[in-house]
Amino acid sequence: MIRLYHLTKRYGEIEALHDINLHVEKGAFVYVTGPSGAGKSTLLKLLYGAVKPTEGKLLIGGTDITRLDRRRIYQLRRNMGVVFQDFKLIPRRTVAENVGLSLEVIGTPRDEIDRRVNAVLGVVGLKGRGKEYPPTLSGGEQQRVAVARAIINDPAIVLADEPTGNLDGAMAIEVMEILQAINLRGTTVLVATHDAALMQRFPYRTLRFRQGRLVRS
Amino acid sequence: MSLVGLGHILRRARRSLWENLYLNVVAVGVIAAALLLLGVFLTVQYNLSGMVESWGKDVHLSAYFHPDVPESRRFDLREHIAQDGRVADIRYVSEEDAQAWLVERVEGVEDILDELGTGALPASLEISLTDEVASPAEIAAFAEGLEGADFAVVDYGGEWVERFNAFLSLLQLLAAVLGALIVVAAVFLVVNTVNLVVYSRRDELEVQRLVGATDGTITAPFLIEGGVQGLVGGLFALAGLALVQRLVVVRLQSALDLEVAGELAALPPAVAVGLLMIGLALGTLAAWISVARFLSRVP
Repeated sequence: MIRLYHLTKRYGEIEALHDINLHVEKGAFVYVTGPSGAGKSTLLKLLYGAVKPTEGKLLIGGTDITRLDRRRIYQLRRNMGVVFQDFKLIPRRTVAENVGLSLEVIGTPRDEIDRRVNAVLGVVGLKGRGKEYPPTLSGGEQQRVAVARAIINDPAIVLADEPTGNLDGAMAIEVMEILQAINLRGTTVLVATHDAALMQRFPYRTLRFRQGRLVRS
Repeated sequence: MSLVGLGHILRRARRSLWENLYLNVVAVGVIAAALLLLGVFLTVQYNLSGMVESWGKDVHLSAYFHPDVPESRRFDLREHIAQDGRVADIRYVSEEDAQAWLVERVEGVEDILDELGTGALPASLEISLTDEVASPAEIAAFAEGLEGADFAVVDYGGEWVERFNAFLSLLQLLAAVLGALIVVAAVFLVVNTVNLVVYSRRDELEVQRLVGATDGTITAPFLIEGGVQGLVGGLFALAGLALVQRLVVVRLQSALDLEVAGELAALPPAVAVGLLMIGLALGTLAAWISVARFLSRVP
C-alpha cells in the first residue's frame, strides 16, 4: 500500500528524514514513533502530500506521489483520511457539516451526505450529536468528530498525527478503539505517537525514528 | 462539475455573503466608489465628445468678399460653391444686410458705421456644411479651397475647434489613465478586503484542501461572492451617478445659469452595462487573486 525508496526530506540545511526505505502492507496498523524532531510528522506530511521529498520515491497504491502535480494532490487526499492532534474542526460549522465536508467537496448529494454522516457518527459514538458545534464538545468528542470526517468516504488509508496528544487516558483509549475498528474493516492505519502506554495497550508494528533515521521497522 | 457540486458551491457562497456581511459591505462600497469615479469621468468625457460632435455637425463658415469683387461675380461664386457636395446651405449677405443685422443687434453701432462709411462691413457668403464634414481637418480643407483672390477672409473658428479637439484628446487620455489607476486601486483595495474574508475562513479552506477539495471547488464560492459584490457595487455606482447628475449638475447649471450644452446627458445604456461588467470583473478578479494567493501558501 505504501512504499518508500531512499526517501530524504530536507528543510534548507535541516535533514528531517534521511534515506528511508519502508513498506507498509495494505490493511496494516502501524505506529510511527520517536522523540520530538525525529521526523514522524514529516513522514505523515509526505504521505498526505503537504510536502514533497527532496530525494527518493514514495508510492501509495502504486502511484508515485512525488510526481503528482500540486493541483492533483486532491486525488490522493480523496482516498485518504487525516486526523490531527488539534482536530482541525471548523468551529462555525455543526458536527454534521464538519463530518460531511469530505463528501460535499466531491459533489455528493445532500441526502446521501446526511445518511452517511448519521451512520459514521454512530460508528464513533456520537449518534444524534450532528447539530452541535465543535466548541461545545469535549476534547475526546472533538477528536471522534475528526475521525468521523476522516473515514466517512471509506478511505484506503487513515493517517493520524498524535491523535491522542490532547486527550486524557480514557478518551485516548476510546479514540484508539475507533481507529482499531476502522483498521479491522480493512483500512490501512498509520498513527504517529510517542505514547508508549498506548502502544503497549494496542500492540502493532512500530516504526521508530530518531533524528530523521528509521532505526526500527 | 455536477449540478449537485454547483449547488454546494452556491450554498457556500450565499452563506459566506451573510456570515461576512460587514466585510462584504466594505468591498461593495469600495467597488461602488471606484466605479462612481470612473462613471463620472465617462459621463464628462461622453458629454464633451457629444458637444464637439454637435459643433462639428453645425459647422458654419463666413467667407468675406474683397470689396472690389463685383456683385455678379459674387452670385456666380455662390452658385459655384453651392454645387459642392459638402455644402448643405449657402446664403449671400450683402454689405447692407450685414449692416442691418449688426444695427439690429448692437445698440448705438449705427453712428460708428456712419462714420466708417460704406463698405465698413464686407459682403459675405454664409455657408453651412453637411454632417459628413465633421473633423477640423476636413473643415480646414474646405476653407482653404475657398481662399483666393475673391475672398479676403474665410472664418470658421477653426483654430478654436482644433484647440478644443486637442483638449478633448488630452482629456480622453487623462480619463483613460485615471480610469486605469482607479481600477488598479480598486482591485488592490478589494483584494485586501477579500483577504480579510479569506483570513477569517482560513481554517475552513485548509480543511477543505485536506479532505480533497480541488482549488476550483475552494475558489468558486469566492468568485461568486466577488461577482455579486462587483454587480451590487456597480448598481450603487449607477444610482450614485444618477444622483450626482440630478442633484449636483442640474442644480449647478441652474444656479450658474449655464446652458453650454443644454442638460448633461446620462451615460448611454451600453456604457452603463459596461460599468456593471467592469464591477463584475473587478469583484471576481479581486477574489481570484486573493484566494489564489492564499491557496499557494496552504499545503
